[in-house]
This record gives sequence, C-alpha cells and structure tokens, in this order.
Amino acid sequence: MNNQSGPSIQRPFSPVRFVRNLAVAILAVVVYVYGWQVTEINLQTLVQGVGDIRPLVEDLLNPQVFERDKQVVRLRVPFPIPCPPDYVPQPATYKGARMDIEPACGEAEEVVVTLRNGRPNTLARVRWGFPIGTDQIVTQAATDDQGNLRVRFQRPEPALGGLEGEHRVEITMEWEEGPLRISDTLKTVVDKMVETVFLALMATTFGVIFALPVSFLGARNLMTTTLWGTVTYYLVRLVFNILRSVETLIWAVIFVVWVGIGPFAGVMALTVHSIAALAKLYSEAIESIDPGPIEAITATGASRLQTVIYAVIPQVIPPFIAFTIYRWDINVRMSTVVGLVGGGGIGYILIQYINLLQYRQAAVAMWAIVIVVSAMDYLSGYIRERVV
Amino acid sequence: MLEVRQLNKIYPGGIHALKDVTFTVEEGEFLVLIGLSGSGKSTLLRCINRLVEPTSGQVIWNGVDITAASPAELRHIRRQIGMIFQQFNLVKRLPVITNVLTGRLGYVSPWRSLFNYWTPEERRMAMQNLERVGIADQAWKRADELSGGQQQRVAIARALMQNPKLILADEPVASLDPATSHSVMKYILELNRRDGITVICSLHFLSLARQYGTRIIALRDGHIVFDGKPEEIDDRRFKEIYGEDAVEVEIR
Repeated sequence: MNNQSGPSIQRPFSPVRFVRNLAVAILAVVVYVYGWQVTEINLQTLVQGVGDIRPLVEDLLNPQVFERDKQVVRLRVPFPIPCPPDYVPQPATYKGARMDIEPACGEAEEVVVTLRNGRPNTLARVRWGFPIGTDQIVTQAATDDQGNLRVRFQRPEPALGGLEGEHRVEITMEWEEGPLRISDTLKTVVDKMVETVFLALMATTFGVIFALPVSFLGARNLMTTTLWGTVTYYLVRLVFNILRSVETLIWAVIFVVWVGIGPFAGVMALTVHSIAALAKLYSEAIESIDPGPIEAITATGASRLQTVIYAVIPQVIPPFIAFTIYRWDINVRMSTVVGLVGGGGIGYILIQYINLLQYRQAAVAMWAIVIVVSAMDYLSGYIRERVV
Repeated sequence: MLEVRQLNKIYPGGIHALKDVTFTVEEGEFLVLIGLSGSGKSTLLRCINRLVEPTSGQVIWNGVDITAASPAELRHIRRQIGMIFQQFNLVKRLPVITNVLTGRLGYVSPWRSLFNYWTPEERRMAMQNLERVGIADQAWKRADELSGGQQQRVAIARALMQNPKLILADEPVASLDPATSHSVMKYILELNRRDGITVICSLHFLSLARQYGTRIIALRDGHIVFDGKPEEIDDRRFKEIYGEDAVEVEIR
C-alpha cells in the first residue's frame, strides 16, 4: 500500500522517451498529411463521380452474351445553302417510309423534319452533315404508334469551313430483330479464353522444365560444399533475382518486339518469369529439407548424384507439386494481363473493347476472366489437397 | 584396424570440438564413446568417415589414410563403414525396402540409380536383412509409418546392406524408450558378436555403456579423459567425465 515500498506499478516517466514518442507521432502526421495531398485523395469526387460510372456499371452487368440481328434504316435529304433558284425539295423514301424537310434549303434558323410510315416506336437519330464531310447528331426521338415523327431543331453552325454548300440531313433508325442467338463477342471471347488457358499451361510447363534442373544449382545446402559449387550457387541466384525483378508485363513488351504481337510473346514472357520464380521456390524447398537422410546416404558411399536422387528428390516432391500448381494459378491470372501489351490471350481483345468504348463487349471478356480464374483457383486448390 | 592420430576439429564458428584425439581400435571391438552433450562424440564419429572434415590429424583405416583419400577413394572406404544415427535418418516418404536398398548405393552405378533399378539379388539381400532385424513384414510400408524402434532397425538393415567392417553408431538409442533401447542395442551387439563387425557407438547413459561396451572412451571438451575397460570407471572417474555435480542414473 505504501508508495515507497517496491517498484511503482506505473512505468517511470522518462522525458527522453516522451520527446522521442512525440517526435515519432508528429513525423507520422506529417508523412500522412503529405501523402494525402501528393496522391490527390479527394473523397468528394468519389461521391460525386458515382453518377458517371452508372452507364459503365450497367454495361458491365449486362454483357453482350446474346444478340439479335441488327436492322438499320437510313433516309437522307440534301439541304443546299443558299437556296438555288427554282429548287425542288427532294424527299427521301425507303420501303414505304418517307422523309421531308421544311424548309428544304437556305439559311433558316429552325428546321422541321418529318418522317412518315417509319417503323413504329423506334428511336430515330437526326444527323446534320456539313459540306466538308463532318456531321453531328442534332436531335433524337422515338416514332409514334404509326411510325410517324416530327421534330423541330436549330440548324447547327459548322465548326469548320464555310456555311455555303451542300448540307445533308439524315434520319437513322436502328433496331434488333429476329431470335436471340449467341453473340459474336461471346464466340471471340471463348476462343481467346481457350488461348489464354493454354498460354498459361505452356508457360508453366516450360517454366517447370527449365526451373527443375537449375533449382538444384541454386540450393545452398547442396552447392556450398565445394568452391566451384559456391561460385555456381551465387551466379545462379544472381540470374534468378535479375530475371524475377523484371515484371511479366515488361517481359511481354520485350517479347512483343522480339517475336511479334501474339500469344507466343505472352508464353515467352510468362515462361521467363516462371523459370525465375519457380527456381527460387524450388531451391528454397530443397534448402529446407531434413539434412539427416543426406548424411545417411552420403555415409553409405553413394555419389552426389545418388544422394540427390534418394535423399533430396523424395523429400522435395510434395512442395514442388504445390509450388507448380500455385504458379499455374498465377500464370492463368497473368495471362489475362499480358494481352494488354500485345501478348495474346483475352487481354488483347479486352483492351480493344475498352478503347472502342464497347463496354458491353468488354463486360463479356471481364466476366469470362472472373469465371475462368475462379474456376482455376478452385481446381488448383482441389488438386493441391489431393496430391500433397 | 582403425587408428585416429592427433585429430583436431575447429568449426568455422571457432568452436574447438576435438583436441588432439588419438586412439586405436582393434578388429571386433565394441567401443563406446561417452561424454556430455557437446563433448565431441558426434564430431569424432563423423570425422572418421569424413561427413565432417577434420581440421588436422589423420584417420588410418587398414593402412589407408582416410583424411587424404580422393573423393572416389573416400566413397570406396565409406561403403565399408556403416552408420546409424540418433534420428534414424531414413527417407520418410520412401518405402522401407527402398530405404534398406539405399545402403547398397556405394556398390551400384549412378546410371542405374537414375532409374531406381535394383537387381533381384539386391532385393533378396534387402529382405534378408529386414528379416534379421525382425521387420520383413513392414517392407512395403512408408518409412514414417513405423515406430521409432522399428525405424532404427530399418537403419541397421540399411547399414548391413553395405557389408560393413565397421559400424559407427551416433547415439542410436537416445530417441527411444528404455525397453526399445535395449532391443536396438541387442541387434547392434549381435552384429558385433556374430558377424565380427567392429562397432564404435556413442551413448548417453553410462549404464548402457557398461552393459554393451568392451571398451569405453570418454570425451570431455574435445579431450579424451578416459580410455579403458568399463569396470574401471569408478566414482572418481565418473566425476572427471561428467563433472562434479553429476549423479549416475541407470537404465535397465
């Protein structure tokens, strides 16, 4: 009960420790404040931007797996400025549909376009074409139950070139018709997905073939018994580390230049990285084996090769299988990415769809990746459980 | 038959494990090495077949200097020297019979080993040796399915495959219970008495050393502190070997 007796249960106050802890705390605050600013973290945009990604998310949730045949009807009338003398309006007709324009020429502020006997309840886009060949959408509206449409709009001013010349006005109606069928996108994606899976398979196989023998040269416990062994060990380790420190995507860029765009470049890129990664994992498996059997078999008068065959290999088979399946898993995931830089596989078409803003098509590729990668994940887990 | 002269071993860490160790082993002896943990018993055994490279000194085996042998000569010498370990050192995932057959590796060409091919004679020999240690019925089990005592018997059968003239046993019963210890020691004793194989065996317990050894060498801090008959170790000698505070415990 007496404070003087025995050491205090409170840690004694130390000014040095207090200042040091304070300094660490201040430094931490400074680091994170700077980090927040330099990476331009802005939670406001995160909230405001939600609306912008809605169409994107809608497209992603609505992948173009099935499609119908697409029908297009296009009607076009000329619109000369200024009006030529005795100009006769030229209405456009197509399969019973008729398009008129009022006025039919000249520098009118407002123009009225009418469509009769078009396809009912279909979205029609009105485009204005300028004399130099460019065009822009001026308005769009749906036809009524009889397939009629009447829209009024401001005549657009050309951004480039003069006003005078032969302008054009065009109505386009697009709709889908006929039975649902598997989309061409899905066919392409499946085709590329098969390529992707085999790309990973080939890369893993080549990786194993090269990594297996080399891994024994990179195992400290086997190699550092003699001088030349030690030299080899350090050289092999150095090469592994260099190869591994270069990312697969960089290798893909290198091989695309080397062997050209296509899956072969992807196979090579994944192979190089797989060799380095597998050899390192294999070497570590060899290093962590029980040294007892090596000692025992060496003591029988066995040669080094025999010692490796009987004391090392039986011990490393289970970890080797586990690491190989793990690598295959990684390669399937990476093979979807090497395509982004031209290494073939699904990534190659995915990046094209994204660049063309065809998000519904991109969605098919992305869903295919999700399905295949998780299936591979499950499969590799299952095999690992059964084999090891 | 085996002469150890002025043997020294200094490990890279600077530990001086053996200091001028000199002794001679006659054919047919059952020599027991005793001493505390870290006294140099294991190092001495491993210096004899050069699993550990001695720093200086010589080991002469039937007139041949093992310490100066080329790698090929060394393998030739090693195959005549069987070795048994405290942890048995079997390849756990391989079947018992394959573990026994590995004792023959010093006699077969490496190319044959690549394909794991063993002649019918070698297989018969392996089965005979397993019968000798009483576990022929376990031949096709995985080594790690066997009990400790059984695993050590597999290790003895493996050593027998070498047709050894000398067996080095490094604490062969230290991982076993007392009853199993005696059964394993009896197999080793039988090899010594019936086959005339010289045995150098390190042991923890002085009682076991007294019971099985024809001669005892005691090590302390890398020095030989005793070399003589088991019955010559009295209380004074015992304290010299194991230190002032030690009390002898018996294992029956």
